[in-house]
Amino acid sequence: MALSANLLAVPAAGPLLTAALILLFARWGGRTLIRHQIALTTLALCVNLVVAVLLFRATAVQGERFVLQLGAWSAPFGITVYADGLSATLLLLTALVSLAVYPFAVATIDYHRARMGFHPLYLFLLTGVNGAFLAGDLFNLYVFFEVLLMASFVLLTVGAQPAQTNSGIRYVVLNLLASTVFLVAAGIAYGTLGTLNMAQIAERLPLASPAVRTVFAGLLMVGFGSKAAIFPLFFWLPASYHTPPPAVTALFGGLLTKVGVYTLFRSFTLFFPELLLSWQPTLLTIAGATMLVGALGALAQPGIRRVLSFHIISHVGFMLMGLAVALSGNNLAIGFGLGAAIIYLCHHMIIKTALIMAGGAVELHMGSDRLASIGGLVSRQPFLAFLFFMAAISLAGVPPFSGFVSKLSLLQITLDTRHWVVSGVSLFASLLTMLNMMRLWRESFWGDYKRPSRIPSRILQSGLRQQLMLTPVAVLVLLSLALGIWGEPAFRLSMQVAQQALDRQAYIEAVSPSTQFSTRPANGLVALSGTDGMNSPQVVAGFATPTLFISQ
Amino acid sequence: MPELYLRLLNRILTPVLLLLAFYLLFRGHNLPGGGFIAGLMAAAAFQLQILSRGHVRVRRTIGPYLNSSIGLGLAVAICAGIVGLMEGTFFKGVWLSLDLPLLGYLKLGTPVIFDLGVFLVVVSVATSYLLGLSRASDTSARLREGSASPVRSDIHTTDRPELNVDPTRRADS
Repeated sequence: MALSANLLAVPAAGPLLTAALILLFARWGGRTLIRHQIALTTLALCVNLVVAVLLFRATAVQGERFVLQLGAWSAPFGITVYADGLSATLLLLTALVSLAVYPFAVATIDYHRARMGFHPLYLFLLTGVNGAFLAGDLFNLYVFFEVLLMASFVLLTVGAQPAQTNSGIRYVVLNLLASTVFLVAAGIAYGTLGTLNMAQIAERLPLASPAVRTVFAGLLMVGFGSKAAIFPLFFWLPASYHTPPPAVTALFGGLLTKVGVYTLFRSFTLFFPELLLSWQPTLLTIAGATMLVGALGALAQPGIRRVLSFHIISHVGFMLMGLAVALSGNNLAIGFGLGAAIIYLCHHMIIKTALIMAGGAVELHMGSDRLASIGGLVSRQPFLAFLFFMAAISLAGVPPFSGFVSKLSLLQITLDTRHWVVSGVSLFASLLTMLNMMRLWRESFWGDYKRPSRIPSRILQSGLRQQLMLTPVAVLVLLSLALGIWGEPAFRLSMQVAQQALDRQAYIEAVSPSTQFSTRPANGLVALSGTDGMNSPQVVAGFATPTLFISQ
Repeated sequence: MPELYLRLLNRILTPVLLLLAFYLLFRGHNLPGGGFIAGLMAAAAFQLQILSRGHVRVRRTIGPYLNSSIGLGLAVAICAGIVGLMEGTFFKGVWLSLDLPLLGYLKLGTPVIFDLGVFLVVVSVATSYLLGLSRASDTSARLREGSASPVRSDIHTTDRPELNVDPTRRADS
């Protein structure tokens, strides 16, 4: 069955439409209304998952590429929506994570926050994330970044606790700075290459002068890297992730930084693959520093969620390391690094979400997540203790789980390309992860039962809520186990996805931006002034700019 | 109490602004204009209402519908995209040409519906900002007044003393 490219509209437009409908009827009704909102949101999340599975099967398994030109306007003029294996993998994981966190959110979000619009915001965030994975031009990528930033800002501060507002301001200021840097990069692309369409940028960038390429790459690296929380730009993450309700942290931890990682993967493989070789030392240094800072920072943190949010940073370093060696390889195939990074990304999204949810459950049971003041939960909540332990050892990379497969493949490629230092650093960071996870588990579950708050949690009193909280964690842990057991087929699949992402010529051909205006400026100008109706001064001026920068 | 000229101006200007907003909305497909600008202009009309009648009255009249109309606008805009599926592509423009007896030739299409959605979103978002800002300025004005009068701090010292103690007196004691 051939899929229609119109299916690409669903992951972004579906949640948006559902959120709009929820807003439309938000005025009428009280608790029944919230129940309807939950039903609608669940429906939207399920539809999103089905579409993501269909797209994943068609792209990652069968190697197709989907291009949707909105309104049937051809490529550089209209809005291009593009999906290949890499986008579809991320769409699928996003759908899984958002569907898994949702029951947890339903069980733990209070009525007040639900009235403030938690459920439509959840869908707006999903719209932004999905849209960013599907965007085929830089401007829409920016727009969807803003959509997800706005939704996440409100999700972060909804409830308006002082700590939330404080962290929310830091979060939004640092993220807006990153967006501005990205916007400047987009402006440079438009000013020098005359286009924002990603396929056309990829086509024209080799003709641009090296200075433009370097500046463009550097700005994108800073903009996307700060979204992904790489080494010198990660400060917004640990400042904000521990303040919102645990369900929000789980969603953010699963999705937000991964949008940055995806855009880094996409821009480096599509726009400047040659920089993956010439910038390799820099990239590897940043990756090593990110891994180390994340793991060491986690060691010093007093609370469960703070530890886990520092580990997100550490893991982004692993993914960046995979990207840095994407085009290298002595005995292993070219693209092995990217494949390893992609499978690491899958592992990370699944298990990190599970772990933050389990940590959130501990926090809700105890009334606090400060490790010094809690302990001994294993006797009261043995199943939670078991799930937390499984998720923790998967994160640390113990064999039957997905962490082992992904870390092993990353280590293989770094050893194969003889980057001894960074592979040593990655091993050390993994060891620190293990240490941290054991610390978390011991402090919160082992020892005498102590609980700082005497007030019994409302969530503890409902069996249904408990099930809603723990079932998604169990499902995600099982997924991680499955990814580890069927590691070989999974890795083969992610290698296929990596090869597809590295084939930039096929990307350009799939989008096929109109070549009506030649990429060579001199010819382009002649052709322009010769065409009827196209020789207005603005058009010529608009396309004359590239002459200054594109070398012949 | 708002000034007389403001109320008079409001009566004259509000219909003009709204008409202009609709004019901009419907000419916006090929000429300067469109849903966003029209929405801002209609929000300006609401701002005039807030200034002349006070934000409490305006809030009572339209406040409850603002969120719903944001949702409606978004839904309408997306549905305009879904209509495009009839011609094969999401957001493809579907056009309908009408030859009306009095108005003459009229061409209607999904871009107009999309713009209508944008208009609804912009006007309701901007108006809710304006209402929020007017309440904030109102609160701060009342606070300034409250701290300026020394009498009030003497009356309400019973249940929450730290809020009502005059700062100058606290320095003394």
